[in-house]
Amino acid sequence: MTTVIEVNNLTRRFGRLTAVDDVSFSVNEGEIFGLLGENGAGKTTTIEMLEGFQKPDKGSVIVLGENPRHGHREWRDRIGLVLQESDFDPLHSVKETLTLFASFFSHPRDVDETLEMVGLTDKAKERVGRLSGGQKRRVDVALGIVGRPQLLFLDEPTTGFDPVARREFWQVIDDLRTTGTSMVLTTHYMEEAERLCDRLAIMAQGQIVAEGTSSALISAFGATTIRFEVPRDVEMSTLCAAAGAHFIRRDNVATVLLGDELEGVLFRLLTWSQSTGTALRHLEVVRPTLNDVFLGATRSDE
Amino acid sequence: MRFARLCFLQAIYNLKAYLRSARTVVLGIIMPVGLLVILSWVFANQGKIAAAAGYPISAITFYAGGLTAYGLMLGTFTGVMVAVVSAREAGWLKRFRASPMPPGSYLSGQILFNVLISMGLVVVMMAIATLIYGMHLRLISVAVMFCYTMLGVFCFTAIALAITRLVTTPEMGSSVGPFVTITLSFTSGVFLPPDLLPHWLISVSNYLPLEPLAQSMQTALAISSGTGIMYRPFIVLGIWGVVGFVAARWTFTWQPLRR
Repeated sequence: MTTVIEVNNLTRRFGRLTAVDDVSFSVNEGEIFGLLGENGAGKTTTIEMLEGFQKPDKGSVIVLGENPRHGHREWRDRIGLVLQESDFDPLHSVKETLTLFASFFSHPRDVDETLEMVGLTDKAKERVGRLSGGQKRRVDVALGIVGRPQLLFLDEPTTGFDPVARREFWQVIDDLRTTGTSMVLTTHYMEEAERLCDRLAIMAQGQIVAEGTSSALISAFGATTIRFEVPRDVEMSTLCAAAGAHFIRRDNVATVLLGDELEGVLFRLLTWSQSTGTALRHLEVVRPTLNDVFLGATRSDE
Repeated sequence: MRFARLCFLQAIYNLKAYLRSARTVVLGIIMPVGLLVILSWVFANQGKIAAAAGYPISAITFYAGGLTAYGLMLGTFTGVMVAVVSAREAGWLKRFRASPMPPGSYLSGQILFNVLISMGLVVVMMAIATLIYGMHLRLISVAVMFCYTMLGVFCFTAIALAITRLVTTPEMGSSVGPFVTITLSFTSGVFLPPDLLPHWLISVSNYLPLEPLAQSMQTALAISSGTGIMYRPFIVLGIWGVVGFVAARWTFTWQPLRR
Protein backbone atom coordinates (compact mmCIF):
# COMPACT_ATOMS: atom_id res chain seq x y z
CA MET A 1 0.00 0.00 0.00
CA THR A 2 1.25 3.49 -0.80
CA THR A 3 1.57 5.99 1.98
CA VAL A 4 0.47 9.55 1.31
CA ILE A 5 1.82 10.94 4.59
CA GLU A 6 4.88 9.89 6.54
CA VAL A 7 5.59 11.73 9.79
CA ASN A 8 8.62 10.94 11.94
CA ASN A 9 9.53 12.37 15.35
CA LEU A 10 7.77 15.61 14.59
CA THR A 11 8.35 18.33 17.20
CA ARG A 12 7.21 21.93 17.34
CA ARG A 13 7.88 24.35 20.18
CA PHE A 14 6.43 27.77 20.90
CA GLY A 15 8.76 29.31 23.45
CA ARG A 16 8.72 26.98 26.43
CA LEU A 17 5.61 25.14 25.31
CA THR A 18 6.13 21.98 23.27
CA ALA A 19 2.97 22.00 21.16
CA VAL A 20 3.86 18.84 19.26
CA ASP A 21 6.15 16.41 20.99
CA ASP A 22 7.89 13.65 19.02
CA VAL A 23 4.89 12.59 16.96
CA SER A 24 5.14 9.82 14.34
CA PHE A 25 2.43 8.30 12.16
CA SER A 26 1.64 7.48 8.57
CA VAL A 27 -1.45 7.66 6.41
CA ASN A 28 -2.16 5.24 3.58
CA GLU A 29 -3.69 6.04 0.26
CA GLY A 30 -7.49 6.16 0.33
CA GLU A 31 -7.54 6.18 4.11
CA ILE A 32 -9.35 8.57 6.44
CA PHE A 33 -7.02 9.28 9.32
CA GLY A 34 -8.31 11.06 12.40
CA LEU A 35 -6.42 13.19 14.88
CA LEU A 36 -8.38 13.45 18.11
CA GLY A 37 -7.74 15.56 21.10
CA GLU A 38 -8.97 18.34 23.30
CA ASN A 39 -8.36 21.98 22.43
CA GLY A 40 -4.66 22.67 22.73
CA ALA A 41 -3.63 19.03 22.30
CA GLY A 42 -1.53 19.90 19.24
CA LYS A 43 -3.86 18.78 16.45
CA THR A 44 -3.91 22.02 14.49
CA THR A 45 -0.16 22.58 14.88
CA THR A 46 0.40 19.07 13.54
CA ILE A 47 -1.93 19.54 10.59
CA GLU A 48 -0.39 22.94 9.80
CA MET A 49 3.03 21.32 9.57
CA LEU A 50 1.55 18.78 7.17
CA GLU A 51 0.08 21.60 5.11
CA GLY A 52 3.39 23.47 5.06
CA PHE A 53 2.23 26.50 7.07
CA GLN A 54 4.52 25.78 10.00
CA LYS A 55 8.08 24.60 10.12
CA PRO A 56 8.89 21.67 12.40
CA ASP A 57 11.64 22.24 14.97
CA LYS A 58 12.59 18.60 14.70
CA GLY A 59 11.58 15.52 12.76
CA SER A 60 10.43 15.00 9.20
CA VAL A 61 7.20 15.29 7.27
CA ILE A 62 6.66 13.83 3.82
CA VAL A 63 3.31 14.54 2.19
CA LEU A 64 2.64 13.08 -1.26
CA GLY A 65 6.35 12.46 -1.61
CA GLU A 66 7.44 16.01 -0.78
CA ASN A 67 8.45 18.19 2.11
CA PRO A 68 5.41 20.48 2.54
CA ARG A 69 7.70 23.47 3.16
CA HIS A 70 8.98 23.11 -0.40
CA GLY A 71 5.65 22.14 -1.90
CA HIS A 72 5.46 23.74 -5.32
CA ARG A 73 2.45 24.34 -7.51
CA GLU A 74 2.08 20.79 -8.86
CA TRP A 75 2.11 19.51 -5.29
CA ARG A 76 -0.51 22.03 -4.13
CA ASP A 77 -2.65 21.07 -7.09
CA ARG A 78 -3.12 17.64 -5.48
CA ILE A 79 -4.02 18.92 -2.00
CA GLY A 80 -7.23 20.32 -0.58
CA LEU A 81 -7.60 22.23 2.68
CA VAL A 82 -10.50 22.88 4.97
CA LEU A 83 -8.97 25.29 7.47
CA GLN A 84 -10.15 25.58 11.03
CA GLU A 85 -11.22 29.17 10.83
CA SER A 86 -11.82 31.12 7.71
CA ASP A 87 -13.99 33.81 6.38
CA PHE A 88 -14.75 35.00 2.87
CA ASP A 89 -15.38 38.19 1.05
CA PRO A 90 -19.03 38.69 2.07
CA LEU A 91 -19.86 40.56 -1.12
CA HIS A 92 -19.43 37.63 -3.48
CA SER A 93 -21.90 34.86 -4.14
CA VAL A 94 -21.17 31.28 -3.22
CA LYS A 95 -20.73 30.38 -6.87
CA GLU A 96 -18.42 33.32 -7.62
CA THR A 97 -16.24 32.43 -4.66
CA LEU A 98 -16.00 28.83 -5.76
CA THR A 99 -15.44 29.70 -9.43
CA LEU A 100 -12.45 31.90 -8.63
CA PHE A 101 -10.93 29.21 -6.46
CA ALA A 102 -11.59 26.47 -9.02
CA SER A 103 -9.63 28.48 -11.61
CA PHE A 104 -6.40 27.92 -9.65
CA PHE A 105 -6.44 24.14 -10.16
CA SER A 106 -5.47 22.22 -13.25
CA HIS A 107 -8.35 19.71 -13.13
CA PRO A 108 -11.07 21.32 -11.03
CA ARG A 109 -14.35 19.66 -10.26
CA ASP A 110 -17.35 21.24 -11.93
CA VAL A 111 -18.55 24.10 -9.70
CA ASP A 112 -22.22 23.10 -9.83
CA GLU A 113 -21.32 19.50 -9.10
CA THR A 114 -19.25 20.63 -6.11
CA LEU A 115 -22.11 22.77 -4.81
CA GLU A 116 -24.41 19.80 -5.08
CA MET A 117 -21.96 17.59 -3.18
CA VAL A 118 -21.98 19.94 -0.20
CA GLY A 119 -25.69 20.67 -0.49
CA LEU A 120 -25.43 24.33 -1.46
CA THR A 121 -27.07 24.19 -4.88
CA ASP A 122 -29.98 26.40 -3.85
CA LYS A 123 -27.59 28.89 -2.21
CA ALA A 124 -25.36 29.26 -5.29
CA LYS A 125 -26.40 32.85 -5.97
CA GLU A 126 -26.57 33.90 -2.32
CA ARG A 127 -23.86 36.27 -1.09
CA VAL A 128 -21.47 34.52 1.25
CA GLY A 129 -22.00 37.21 3.89
CA ARG A 130 -25.65 36.20 4.21
CA LEU A 131 -25.02 32.52 4.90
CA SER A 132 -25.41 30.87 8.30
CA GLY A 133 -22.36 29.50 10.11
CA GLY A 134 -23.07 25.94 8.99
CA GLN A 135 -23.55 27.01 5.39
CA LYS A 136 -20.26 28.94 5.43
CA ARG A 137 -18.53 25.82 6.67
CA ARG A 138 -19.94 23.98 3.67
CA VAL A 139 -18.43 26.64 1.43
CA ASP A 140 -15.15 25.83 3.18
CA VAL A 141 -15.56 22.18 2.38
CA ALA A 142 -16.51 23.04 -1.21
CA LEU A 143 -13.30 25.09 -1.54
CA GLY A 144 -11.36 22.13 -0.15
CA ILE A 145 -12.68 19.65 -2.69
CA VAL A 146 -13.19 21.79 -5.80
CA GLY A 147 -9.63 21.11 -6.98
CA ARG A 148 -10.29 17.34 -6.98
CA PRO A 149 -7.58 16.76 -4.39
CA GLN A 150 -5.83 13.46 -3.90
CA LEU A 151 -5.35 14.36 -0.24
CA LEU A 152 -7.75 16.48 1.79
CA PHE A 153 -7.03 18.07 5.17
CA LEU A 154 -10.04 18.86 7.34
CA ASP A 155 -9.34 20.81 10.52
CA GLU A 156 -12.35 20.49 12.83
CA PRO A 157 -14.76 20.63 9.92
CA THR A 158 -17.99 20.27 11.92
CA THR A 159 -17.32 22.48 14.94
CA GLY A 160 -20.45 24.52 15.51
CA PHE A 161 -22.69 22.27 13.38
CA ASP A 162 -26.07 21.18 14.63
CA PRO A 163 -26.67 17.40 14.67
CA VAL A 164 -28.51 17.40 11.34
CA ALA A 165 -25.80 19.42 9.60
CA ARG A 166 -23.17 17.12 11.05
CA ARG A 167 -24.91 14.04 9.70
CA GLU A 168 -25.17 15.66 6.28
CA PHE A 169 -21.50 16.51 6.38
CA TRP A 170 -20.63 12.90 7.17
CA GLN A 171 -22.49 11.92 4.02
CA VAL A 172 -20.26 14.29 2.02
CA ILE A 173 -17.17 12.61 3.48
CA ASP A 174 -18.60 9.17 2.70
CA ASP A 175 -19.15 10.25 -0.90
CA LEU A 176 -15.57 11.50 -1.11
CA ARG A 177 -14.31 8.26 0.36
CA THR A 178 -15.76 6.37 -2.59
CA THR A 179 -13.70 8.56 -4.96
CA GLY A 180 -10.54 7.31 -3.24
CA THR A 181 -9.59 10.66 -1.67
CA SER A 182 -7.22 10.28 1.27
CA MET A 183 -8.14 12.46 4.22
CA VAL A 184 -6.71 13.73 7.46
CA LEU A 185 -9.35 14.96 9.86
CA THR A 186 -9.05 16.58 13.24
CA THR A 187 -12.01 16.62 15.56
CA HIS A 188 -12.97 16.59 19.18
CA TYR A 189 -16.20 14.74 18.52
CA MET A 190 -15.67 11.09 19.31
CA GLU A 191 -18.81 10.05 17.49
CA GLU A 192 -17.49 11.71 14.36
CA ALA A 193 -14.11 10.01 14.55
CA GLU A 194 -15.72 6.64 15.16
CA ARG A 195 -18.12 7.12 12.30
CA LEU A 196 -15.65 8.44 9.70
CA CYS A 197 -12.08 7.42 10.42
CA ASP A 198 -10.47 4.22 9.26
CA ARG A 199 -7.66 4.80 11.71
CA LEU A 200 -7.08 7.41 14.35
CA ALA A 201 -4.56 8.80 16.76
CA ILE A 202 -5.46 10.37 20.09
CA MET A 203 -3.35 13.37 21.02
CA ALA A 204 -2.82 14.83 24.48
CA GLN A 205 -0.29 17.49 25.39
CA GLY A 206 1.40 17.26 22.04
CA GLN A 207 1.89 13.51 22.07
CA ILE A 208 0.07 10.62 20.46
CA VAL A 209 -1.19 8.59 23.41
CA ALA A 210 -3.07 5.94 21.45
CA GLU A 211 -3.31 4.95 17.81
CA GLY A 212 -5.24 2.37 15.82
CA THR A 213 -8.64 1.60 14.31
CA SER A 214 -11.52 2.73 16.47
CA SER A 215 -12.54 -0.85 17.27
CA ALA A 216 -8.96 -1.78 18.21
CA LEU A 217 -8.71 1.26 20.46
CA ILE A 218 -12.02 0.44 22.07
CA SER A 219 -11.07 -3.11 22.90
CA ALA A 220 -7.63 -2.03 24.09
CA PHE A 221 -8.65 0.89 26.26
CA GLY A 222 -12.33 0.50 26.98
CA ALA A 223 -14.31 -2.04 28.98
CA THR A 224 -17.90 -3.18 28.97
CA THR A 225 -19.79 -1.98 32.03
CA ILE A 226 -23.08 -2.76 33.72
CA ARG A 227 -25.22 0.13 34.89
CA PHE A 228 -28.31 0.18 37.08
CA GLU A 229 -29.92 2.02 39.96
CA VAL A 230 -30.31 0.72 43.46
CA PRO A 231 -31.52 2.48 46.59
CA ARG A 232 -29.00 4.68 48.35
CA ASP A 233 -28.76 2.44 51.41
CA VAL A 234 -27.40 -0.56 49.51
CA GLU A 235 -23.77 -1.20 50.48
CA MET A 236 -21.61 -1.27 47.39
CA SER A 237 -18.97 -3.51 48.87
CA THR A 238 -21.56 -6.18 49.72
CA LEU A 239 -23.10 -5.94 46.27
CA CYS A 240 -19.76 -6.20 44.49
CA ALA A 241 -18.73 -9.16 46.57
CA ALA A 242 -22.01 -10.92 45.78
CA ALA A 243 -21.71 -10.23 42.06
CA GLY A 244 -17.95 -10.83 41.84
CA ALA A 245 -17.38 -7.51 40.07
CA HIS A 246 -15.25 -4.38 40.40
CA PHE A 247 -16.94 -1.27 41.62
CA ILE A 248 -16.31 1.69 39.37
CA ARG A 249 -18.46 4.64 40.24
CA ARG A 250 -21.63 5.61 42.00
CA ASP A 251 -23.11 8.90 40.99
CA ASN A 252 -26.60 10.35 41.49
CA VAL A 253 -28.56 7.75 39.61
CA ALA A 254 -26.37 5.02 38.27
CA THR A 255 -23.91 2.55 39.59
CA VAL A 256 -21.36 1.13 37.27
CA LEU A 257 -19.79 -2.25 37.65
CA LEU A 258 -17.07 -3.78 35.65
CA GLY A 259 -17.22 -7.50 35.04
CA ASP A 260 -14.31 -9.60 33.92
CA GLU A 261 -16.65 -12.21 32.58
CA LEU A 262 -19.88 -10.47 31.80
CA GLU A 263 -22.32 -13.40 31.80
CA GLY A 264 -21.24 -14.61 35.25
CA VAL A 265 -21.41 -11.16 36.78
CA LEU A 266 -24.87 -10.55 35.31
CA PHE A 267 -26.13 -13.90 36.54
CA ARG A 268 -24.84 -13.36 40.08
CA LEU A 269 -26.16 -9.82 40.09
CA LEU A 270 -29.66 -10.96 39.12
CA THR A 271 -29.54 -13.75 41.72
CA TRP A 272 -28.56 -11.21 44.38
CA SER A 273 -31.42 -8.98 43.27
CA GLN A 274 -33.92 -11.86 43.53
CA SER A 275 -32.74 -13.11 46.89
CA THR A 276 -32.57 -9.70 48.57
CA GLY A 277 -35.65 -8.36 46.85
CA THR A 278 -33.71 -5.29 45.63
CA ALA A 279 -34.90 -3.90 42.31
CA LEU A 280 -32.21 -3.09 39.70
CA ARG A 281 -33.86 -0.25 37.93
CA HIS A 282 -32.78 0.70 34.35
CA LEU A 283 -30.40 -2.24 34.16
CA GLU A 284 -28.23 -2.10 31.06
CA VAL A 285 -25.01 -3.47 29.62
CA VAL A 286 -22.98 -0.66 28.11
CA ARG A 287 -20.39 -1.22 25.42
CA PRO A 288 -17.44 1.14 25.66
CA THR A 289 -17.37 4.05 23.28
CA LEU A 290 -14.48 5.90 21.80
CA ASN A 291 -15.31 8.58 24.32
CA ASP A 292 -14.31 6.23 27.15
CA VAL A 293 -11.13 5.39 25.26
CA PHE A 294 -10.45 9.05 24.81
CA LEU A 295 -11.04 9.92 28.44
CA GLY A 296 -9.03 6.90 29.57
CA ALA A 297 -6.15 7.58 27.21
CA THR A 298 -5.89 11.30 27.91
CA ARG A 299 -6.36 10.89 31.67
CA SER A 300 -3.63 8.27 32.03
CA ASP A 301 -1.27 10.78 30.50
CA GLU A 302 -1.79 13.37 33.21
CA MET B 1 -1.83 32.52 -21.10
CA ARG B 2 -3.12 30.76 -18.00
CA PHE B 3 -1.43 33.42 -15.87
CA ALA B 4 -3.16 36.19 -17.81
CA ARG B 5 -6.49 34.43 -17.38
CA LEU B 6 -6.01 34.09 -13.61
CA CYS B 7 -4.96 37.72 -13.35
CA PHE B 8 -8.03 38.77 -15.30
CA LEU B 9 -10.37 36.59 -13.19
CA GLN B 10 -8.88 38.05 -10.01
CA ALA B 11 -9.40 41.60 -11.30
CA ILE B 12 -13.01 40.86 -12.24
CA TYR B 13 -13.58 39.29 -8.84
CA ASN B 14 -12.27 42.44 -7.13
CA LEU B 15 -14.27 44.66 -9.44
CA LYS B 16 -17.51 42.90 -8.47
CA ALA B 17 -16.80 43.44 -4.77
CA TYR B 18 -15.86 47.06 -5.49
CA LEU B 19 -19.08 47.85 -7.27
CA ARG B 20 -21.13 46.15 -4.56
CA SER B 21 -19.56 48.06 -1.71
CA ALA B 22 -20.79 51.58 -1.05
CA ARG B 23 -17.66 52.39 0.95
CA THR B 24 -15.18 51.82 -1.84
CA VAL B 25 -17.22 53.67 -4.44
CA VAL B 26 -17.66 56.64 -2.10
CA LEU B 27 -13.97 56.69 -1.28
CA GLY B 28 -12.62 56.16 -4.76
CA ILE B 29 -15.06 58.09 -6.96
CA ILE B 30 -17.63 60.15 -5.07
CA MET B 31 -15.13 61.93 -2.78
CA PRO B 32 -12.73 63.18 -5.48
CA VAL B 33 -15.67 64.11 -7.71
CA GLY B 34 -17.36 65.98 -4.86
CA LEU B 35 -14.16 67.85 -4.03
CA LEU B 36 -13.67 68.74 -7.69
CA VAL B 37 -17.16 70.18 -7.92
CA ILE B 38 -16.87 72.16 -4.68
CA LEU B 39 -13.29 73.41 -4.89
CA SER B 40 -13.49 74.41 -8.55
CA TRP B 41 -16.68 76.31 -7.82
CA VAL B 42 -15.18 78.07 -4.77
CA PHE B 43 -11.95 79.03 -6.53
CA ALA B 44 -13.47 79.74 -9.94
CA ASN B 45 -13.35 83.50 -9.38
CA GLN B 46 -9.79 83.51 -8.08
CA GLY B 47 -8.38 83.70 -11.55
CA LYS B 48 -5.26 81.72 -12.34
CA ILE B 49 -3.61 79.53 -9.73
CA ALA B 50 0.14 79.50 -9.41
CA ALA B 51 0.83 75.82 -9.92
CA ALA B 52 4.12 74.11 -9.29
CA ALA B 53 4.53 73.79 -13.05
CA GLY B 54 5.89 77.31 -12.91
CA TYR B 55 3.13 79.09 -14.75
CA PRO B 56 -0.38 79.95 -13.62
CA ILE B 57 -3.22 77.62 -14.65
CA SER B 58 -6.98 77.87 -14.27
CA ALA B 59 -8.65 76.62 -11.09
CA ILE B 60 -10.49 73.86 -12.90
CA THR B 61 -7.31 72.52 -14.53
CA PHE B 62 -5.51 72.73 -11.21
CA TYR B 63 -8.21 70.77 -9.40
CA ALA B 64 -9.04 68.33 -12.22
CA GLY B 65 -5.40 67.25 -12.38
CA GLY B 66 -4.61 67.37 -8.66
CA LEU B 67 -7.79 65.73 -7.44
CA THR B 68 -7.47 62.92 -9.98
CA ALA B 69 -4.05 62.18 -8.50
CA TYR B 70 -5.59 62.44 -5.02
CA GLY B 71 -8.46 60.08 -5.93
CA LEU B 72 -6.04 57.63 -7.47
CA MET B 73 -3.89 57.55 -4.36
CA LEU B 74 -6.88 57.40 -2.01
CA GLY B 75 -8.49 54.57 -3.95
CA THR B 76 -5.40 52.50 -4.72
CA PHE B 77 -3.39 53.02 -1.53
CA THR B 78 -6.36 52.54 0.79
CA GLY B 79 -8.04 49.97 -1.42
CA VAL B 80 -5.03 47.65 -1.73
CA MET B 81 -4.27 47.95 1.96
CA VAL B 82 -7.84 47.16 3.02
CA ALA B 83 -8.29 44.41 0.43
CA VAL B 84 -5.04 42.65 1.33
CA VAL B 85 -5.42 43.02 5.09
CA SER B 86 -9.03 41.86 5.18
CA ALA B 87 -8.27 38.92 2.88
CA ARG B 88 -5.27 38.05 5.03
CA GLU B 89 -7.06 38.31 8.38
CA ALA B 90 -9.99 36.28 7.06
CA GLY B 91 -7.63 33.45 6.16
CA TRP B 92 -8.38 33.98 2.50
CA LEU B 93 -4.75 34.71 1.56
CA LYS B 94 -3.67 31.63 3.47
CA ARG B 95 -6.01 29.62 1.27
CA PHE B 96 -4.60 31.26 -1.84
CA ARG B 97 -1.09 30.46 -0.71
CA ALA B 98 -1.97 26.82 -0.13
CA SER B 99 -3.61 26.54 -3.55
CA PRO B 100 -1.69 26.18 -6.82
CA MET B 101 -2.42 29.84 -7.61
CA PRO B 102 0.76 31.63 -8.81
CA PRO B 103 1.30 34.44 -6.25
CA GLY B 104 2.05 36.87 -9.05
CA SER B 105 -1.43 36.47 -10.50
CA TYR B 106 -2.95 37.75 -7.26
CA LEU B 107 -0.69 40.78 -7.33
CA SER B 108 -1.21 41.50 -11.03
CA GLY B 109 -4.93 41.04 -10.52
CA GLN B 110 -4.84 43.74 -7.82
CA ILE B 111 -2.87 46.07 -10.07
CA LEU B 112 -5.08 45.45 -13.11
CA PHE B 113 -8.21 46.04 -11.02
CA ASN B 114 -6.87 49.32 -9.64
CA VAL B 115 -5.76 50.46 -13.09
CA LEU B 116 -9.29 49.81 -14.35
CA ILE B 117 -11.07 51.74 -11.60
CA SER B 118 -8.49 54.55 -11.70
CA MET B 119 -9.03 54.91 -15.44
CA GLY B 120 -12.72 55.06 -14.67
CA LEU B 121 -11.95 57.86 -12.22
CA VAL B 122 -9.96 59.74 -14.88
CA VAL B 123 -12.87 59.47 -17.30
CA VAL B 124 -15.40 60.70 -14.72
CA MET B 125 -13.18 63.60 -13.58
CA MET B 126 -12.43 64.70 -17.14
CA ALA B 127 -16.11 64.48 -18.05
CA ILE B 128 -17.12 66.73 -15.13
CA ALA B 129 -14.32 69.20 -15.76
CA THR B 130 -15.18 69.59 -19.43
CA LEU B 131 -18.97 69.32 -19.29
CA ILE B 132 -19.64 71.38 -16.14
CA TYR B 133 -16.67 73.71 -15.95
CA GLY B 134 -15.87 73.97 -19.64
CA MET B 135 -12.26 72.85 -19.31
CA HIS B 136 -10.58 72.47 -22.65
CA LEU B 137 -9.48 68.85 -23.01
CA ARG B 138 -7.34 67.38 -25.76
CA LEU B 139 -7.46 63.68 -26.51
CA ILE B 140 -3.70 63.38 -26.16
CA SER B 141 -4.01 64.68 -22.59
CA VAL B 142 -6.35 61.79 -21.73
CA ALA B 143 -3.78 59.34 -23.11
CA VAL B 144 -1.05 60.97 -21.01
CA MET B 145 -3.33 60.86 -17.95
CA PHE B 146 -3.85 57.12 -18.49
CA CYS B 147 -0.12 56.68 -18.71
CA TYR B 148 0.38 58.46 -15.35
CA THR B 149 -2.52 56.43 -13.96
CA MET B 150 -0.66 53.19 -14.56
CA LEU B 151 2.47 54.65 -13.01
CA GLY B 152 0.53 55.85 -9.96
CA VAL B 153 -1.26 52.53 -9.45
CA PHE B 154 2.04 50.66 -9.69
CA CYS B 155 3.62 52.95 -7.09
CA PHE B 156 0.76 53.11 -4.57
CA THR B 157 0.06 49.38 -4.81
CA ALA B 158 3.70 48.71 -3.96
CA ILE B 159 3.74 51.09 -0.99
CA ALA B 160 0.44 49.70 0.31
CA LEU B 161 1.74 46.13 0.07
CA ALA B 162 4.97 47.06 1.83
CA ILE B 163 3.16 48.36 4.90
CA THR B 164 0.44 45.69 5.19
CA ARG B 165 2.65 43.97 7.76
CA LEU B 166 2.08 46.94 10.09
CA VAL B 167 -1.64 47.09 9.46
CA THR B 168 -3.32 44.51 11.67
CA THR B 169 -6.98 45.13 10.82
CA PRO B 170 -8.93 46.31 7.76
CA GLU B 171 -10.37 49.12 9.92
CA MET B 172 -6.87 50.35 10.59
CA GLY B 173 -6.16 50.33 6.86
CA SER B 174 -9.29 52.29 6.06
CA SER B 175 -8.27 55.06 8.46
CA VAL B 176 -4.52 55.09 7.76
CA GLY B 177 -5.07 55.28 3.97
CA PRO B 178 -7.25 58.41 3.88
CA PHE B 179 -5.21 60.04 6.66
CA VAL B 180 -1.94 59.72 4.76
CA THR B 181 -3.56 60.69 1.46
CA ILE B 182 -5.30 63.78 2.82
CA THR B 183 -2.22 64.94 4.72
CA LEU B 184 -0.08 64.59 1.62
CA SER B 185 -2.71 66.32 -0.48
CA PHE B 186 -2.32 69.50 1.57
CA THR B 187 1.43 69.55 1.05
CA SER B 188 1.42 68.42 -2.58
CA GLY B 189 -0.47 71.19 -4.37
CA VAL B 190 -3.74 69.29 -4.54
CA PHE B 191 -6.13 71.13 -2.21
CA LEU B 192 -4.12 74.34 -1.89
CA PRO B 193 -2.03 76.20 -4.45
CA PRO B 194 1.63 75.43 -3.69
CA ASP B 195 2.58 79.11 -3.37
CA LEU B 196 0.65 79.21 -0.09
CA LEU B 197 2.96 76.63 1.44
CA PRO B 198 6.40 77.11 3.02
CA HIS B 199 9.21 76.42 0.62
CA TRP B 200 10.78 73.61 2.64
CA LEU B 201 7.49 71.69 2.69
CA ILE B 202 7.31 71.80 -1.10
CA SER B 203 10.90 70.58 -1.28
CA VAL B 204 10.08 67.58 0.90
CA SER B 205 6.89 66.86 -1.04
CA ASN B 206 8.87 66.81 -4.29
CA TYR B 207 10.38 63.52 -3.17
CA LEU B 208 7.07 61.98 -2.01
CA PRO B 209 4.90 60.26 -4.61
CA LEU B 210 1.76 62.41 -4.64
CA GLU B 211 3.29 65.78 -5.56
CA PRO B 212 5.01 64.66 -8.79
CA LEU B 213 1.88 62.76 -9.84
CA ALA B 214 -0.44 65.70 -9.15
CA GLN B 215 1.85 68.19 -10.84
CA SER B 216 2.33 66.05 -13.93
CA MET B 217 -1.41 65.51 -14.28
CA GLN B 218 -2.07 69.25 -13.90
CA THR B 219 0.58 69.97 -16.51
CA ALA B 220 -0.83 67.39 -18.92
CA LEU B 221 -4.20 69.14 -18.77
CA ALA B 222 -2.80 72.68 -18.83
CA ILE B 223 -0.50 72.77 -21.80
CA SER B 224 -1.95 73.63 -25.16
CA SER B 225 0.45 71.75 -27.41
CA GLY B 226 2.55 68.60 -27.21
CA THR B 227 2.14 65.80 -24.66
CA GLY B 228 3.60 67.68 -21.70
CA ILE B 229 4.94 64.38 -20.44
CA MET B 230 7.41 64.78 -17.56
CA TYR B 231 10.19 62.48 -16.55
CA ARG B 232 10.25 63.46 -12.87
CA PRO B 233 7.15 61.41 -11.79
CA PHE B 234 8.60 58.35 -13.50
CA ILE B 235 11.77 58.69 -11.47
CA VAL B 236 10.16 59.50 -8.11
CA LEU B 237 7.18 57.16 -8.34
CA GLY B 238 9.31 54.52 -10.03
CA ILE B 239 11.79 54.50 -7.16
CA TRP B 240 9.00 54.47 -4.54
CA GLY B 241 7.32 51.62 -6.43
CA VAL B 242 10.43 49.50 -6.80
CA VAL B 243 11.47 50.08 -3.19
CA GLY B 244 7.89 49.26 -2.14
CA PHE B 245 7.87 45.95 -4.00
CA VAL B 246 11.29 44.99 -2.71
CA ALA B 247 10.17 45.80 0.85
CA ALA B 248 6.92 43.90 0.31
CA ARG B 249 8.86 40.81 -0.73
CA TRP B 250 10.46 40.83 2.71
CA THR B 251 7.55 41.91 4.84
CA PHE B 252 4.55 40.39 3.14
CA THR B 253 2.76 37.59 4.95
CA TRP B 254 -0.04 35.34 3.74
CA GLN B 255 -1.07 34.20 7.18
CA PRO B 256 -3.35 36.13 9.53
CA LEU B 257 -1.42 38.23 12.05
CA ARG B 258 -4.08 37.81 14.70
CA ARG B 259 -4.94 34.27 15.56
